[in-house]
Amino acid sequence: MPSTPRNRLGDLERAVMEELWTSHEAHPDGLTVREVHDRVGLDRGLAYTTLMTVLDRMSKKGLVERERDGRAWRYTASSSRAELTSETLHHTLGELAGDTRRTALLHFLDESTPEEIDELRAALAELEARNSAGVRATT
Amino acid sequence: MLVLALVALALLLAWPVPRALARVTTVRRGPRAALVLWQSTAVAAVLAALFAAPAAVPWLIGSAPRLRDSWPVLAVAALLTGIVTVRLLVSGDRVGRNLRSVRRRHRELVDLLATQGDGHTRVLEHTTPTAYCLPGVRRRVVLTQGTIDRLSPDELDAVMAHERAHLAARHDLVMEFFTVVHEAVPGFVRSSTALREVHLLIEVLADRAAVRRAGVVTTARAIVGMADGPKPAGAMAIRESTAAAKARIELLEGGRVAGLPAPVASTLMYAASIVLVAAPLTLLVLAFAGFSPA
Repeated sequence: MPSTPRNRLGDLERAVMEELWTSHEAHPDGLTVREVHDRVGLDRGLAYTTLMTVLDRMSKKGLVERERDGRAWRYTASSSRAELTSETLHHTLGELAGDTRRTALLHFLDESTPEEIDELRAALAELEARNSAGVRATT
Repeated sequence: MLVLALVALALLLAWPVPRALARVTTVRRGPRAALVLWQSTAVAAVLAALFAAPAAVPWLIGSAPRLRDSWPVLAVAALLTGIVTVRLLVSGDRVGRNLRSVRRRHRELVDLLATQGDGHTRVLEHTTPTAYCLPGVRRRVVLTQGTIDRLSPDELDAVMAHERAHLAARHDLVMEFFTVVHEAVPGFVRSSTALREVHLLIEVLADRAAVRRAGVVTTARAIVGMADGPKPAGAMAIRESTAAAKARIELLEGGRVAGLPAPVASTLMYAASIVLVAAPLTLLVLAFAGFSPA
């Protein structure tokens, strides 16, 4: 994929989230911008202020939360990776559905009852039988 | 009177025709032609509504005195054209903007969380088998790890072919068009069966691409595999119904449409589509040509 500025920003946000998630156990209070910069920014040759801007943007998007710690902010991930994944699948996808429901072209299946699943399997079995019979007939 | 004919045509195509057409499930076996037929129904309805008031113009200029007797028809035509114009503009703007912003936000989250597969594919670490695509310039096919764990490699191939077919044929634009028209129609006239039917046809078309790639049986197994996978706690906001999945399996094989060979039926549907779109155009042209039935 071409490295457009937008992609680089996405990669940076990703790296920051990654860092906040993995360091959560060791630093439950979160990381300061300085700490994030040390861990994520230095390798990439990014300025301290770049990380500051990115973290600020991410907190506006609700991805991270921050708390005052003396003169600095401490940033934590708003939710764990697993939580955010479920949220992405449920909530955001629900939004995608929402009032533009059918526009989303989704392939979730309904909370189906066991009977309905049985019917589905029966339809499959029928199709399989039909097709193997077809193969035998033509060979 | 041509204005009246246009008004009647718009109403027919907005209300009874889609409801009747949704009941003719046999056309699902010719999904491409059926989709064109649905699209022309919607286009013809919109055109008839938009042309109703303009069609009255030459007739008004020609004979002002007749205004006294026929003002109700003119009022209806003006109202219809006015309402449909405004509602289409509002709905188009709203649906388009909404959809793009939700999609963008969703794509950003996917990019933040998912691991990258080949090309546009992204994999989310989640047990529910799910596959969908995010259309647009920065398009994505999103799979969950649950899908990969659950399906065999060739079933996965079928799923990918299905999603790529959606992206390649820009099925999202077809759905967007229908959603815009759907929301432009006043609530008491609109029918969600039409939208559902169009959605199913799009799925059937994408399934056909999957069948070409992986075969009928494999595609059917993939559909069922996605259907009876583990479900997370809490209700999913949107899920396809099992009934739709069953319908898709039954439609994988194609076959005759209303007893006719599929190509013949498709040709008939294309012809009907042309007639439908030509109808409002013809009526408008006749109105301007000064044609007036005795």
